[in-house]
Amino acid sequence: MAGVGARLLLPVMGRPALLLLALCTAGAQGLYFHIGETEKRCFIEEIPDETMVIGNYRTQMWDKQKEVFLPSTPGLGMHVEVKDPDSKVVLSRQYGSEGRFTFTSHTPGDHQICLHSNSTKMALFAGGKLRVHLDIQVGEHANNYPEIAAKDKLTELQLRARQLLDQVEQIQKEQDYQRYREERFRLTSESTNQRVLWWSIAQTVILILTGIWQMRHLKSFFEAKKLV
Amino acid sequence: MGVRIWLPFPVLLLAALPPVLLPGAAGFTPSLDSDFTFTLPAGQKECFYQPMPLKASLEIEYQVLDGAGLDIDFHLASPEGKILVFEQRKSDGVHTVETEVGDYMFCFDNTFSTISEKVIFFELILDNMGEQAQEQEDWKKYITGTDMLDMKLEDILESINSIKSRLSKSGHIQTLLRAFEARDRNIQESNFDRVNFWSMVNLMVMVVVSAIQVYMLKSLFEDKRKSRT
Repeated sequence: MAGVGARLLLPVMGRPALLLLALCTAGAQGLYFHIGETEKRCFIEEIPDETMVIGNYRTQMWDKQKEVFLPSTPGLGMHVEVKDPDSKVVLSRQYGSEGRFTFTSHTPGDHQICLHSNSTKMALFAGGKLRVHLDIQVGEHANNYPEIAAKDKLTELQLRARQLLDQVEQIQKEQDYQRYREERFRLTSESTNQRVLWWSIAQTVILILTGIWQMRHLKSFFEAKKLV
Repeated sequence: MGVRIWLPFPVLLLAALPPVLLPGAAGFTPSLDSDFTFTLPAGQKECFYQPMPLKASLEIEYQVLDGAGLDIDFHLASPEGKILVFEQRKSDGVHTVETEVGDYMFCFDNTFSTISEKVIFFELILDNMGEQAQEQEDWKKYITGTDMLDMKLEDILESINSIKSRLSKSGHIQTLLRAFEARDRNIQESNFDRVNFWSMVNLMVMVVVSAIQVYMLKSLFEDKRKSRT
């Protein structure tokens, strides 16, 4: 399909057609990490409310014989679990060896995204290592602009304006969330300050009272024993 | 031959679009800047890898947001395994390297700590990633329709592009501020817990010590009385 499209496109727009092919075959050249068989890796995203988060991942299995990572891993699944700031599960689903997950936050705060593999087949490979390429997009980075442009039939200027509006909206949401966090922070600090002050006063008063009680009790004790 | 070239633009686009736009069909093209926050349990080490082309620039910035001591060991290794950066027990750091082809590895090491787990935030900023990155911005080729006023359009587009890059910077700074604020908030909350806990302990100790003092003195005198009679 791509081959036919390229043949038709080349006479009309040579270079962009080649780049389409390049995008198709290049794959992900992003951050990756290694995960063990039963290992669970969690990432925290602190986001304001009503923000969309899209995560893309791709897995590769280690082949011990060839000492190389296989380009794709059929039959291997990853379980993705997302918890909101109140530890309520927002998303808990199984995906294939390659997948994308999406969720929208309804409360601002720390959302936890956990990934672990569900397969026991890796035990067959003595290496037991899985390479996971991960990319998490938050807010306006999650929007697919080519799709939006095609759907709403936007010109270049309109699309740029739309992008800017989304960006500004996200920044504004983040600022509102920042204000809420700063307030919480200030309340905790003020409460700590107050407690330190009251505790110092209370401690002094208790010490004085205890001293007085001790002296009076011992004095009456000695008088009772006819030592004073 | 002439007929083929005259196929309308949208049809050609539709022919080429599906492999690129279908999600997951051909892998994903990740963005140039990414940040992650994760929890590193006590006594463990976690490594991340970033493939890089030649003569690009890799900037990594990390901060420890939570965990007693707020420090972590960090090292960055080139694709050949040579250690480019090695830091011990630092609470934040920023490093830029000019890259060669291969996978760069960076690791966060919490093995020196036996009980406290750390929350670590890191941000990767990649520049000059080359042809592939440039083409990512060529989505504008997918738009329909034309804009009138070609002459003025250039100026408008230029100012819009500059606005976009400045807003990206604002977004970046916000991410940084968020990390700083999270760290300060965690420090404050642990202070709060500490004040509460040690005040209680202090109170208990004072009461117990004063009671023990009094009873010990009394017991001294009681023994003497018994020995006298």
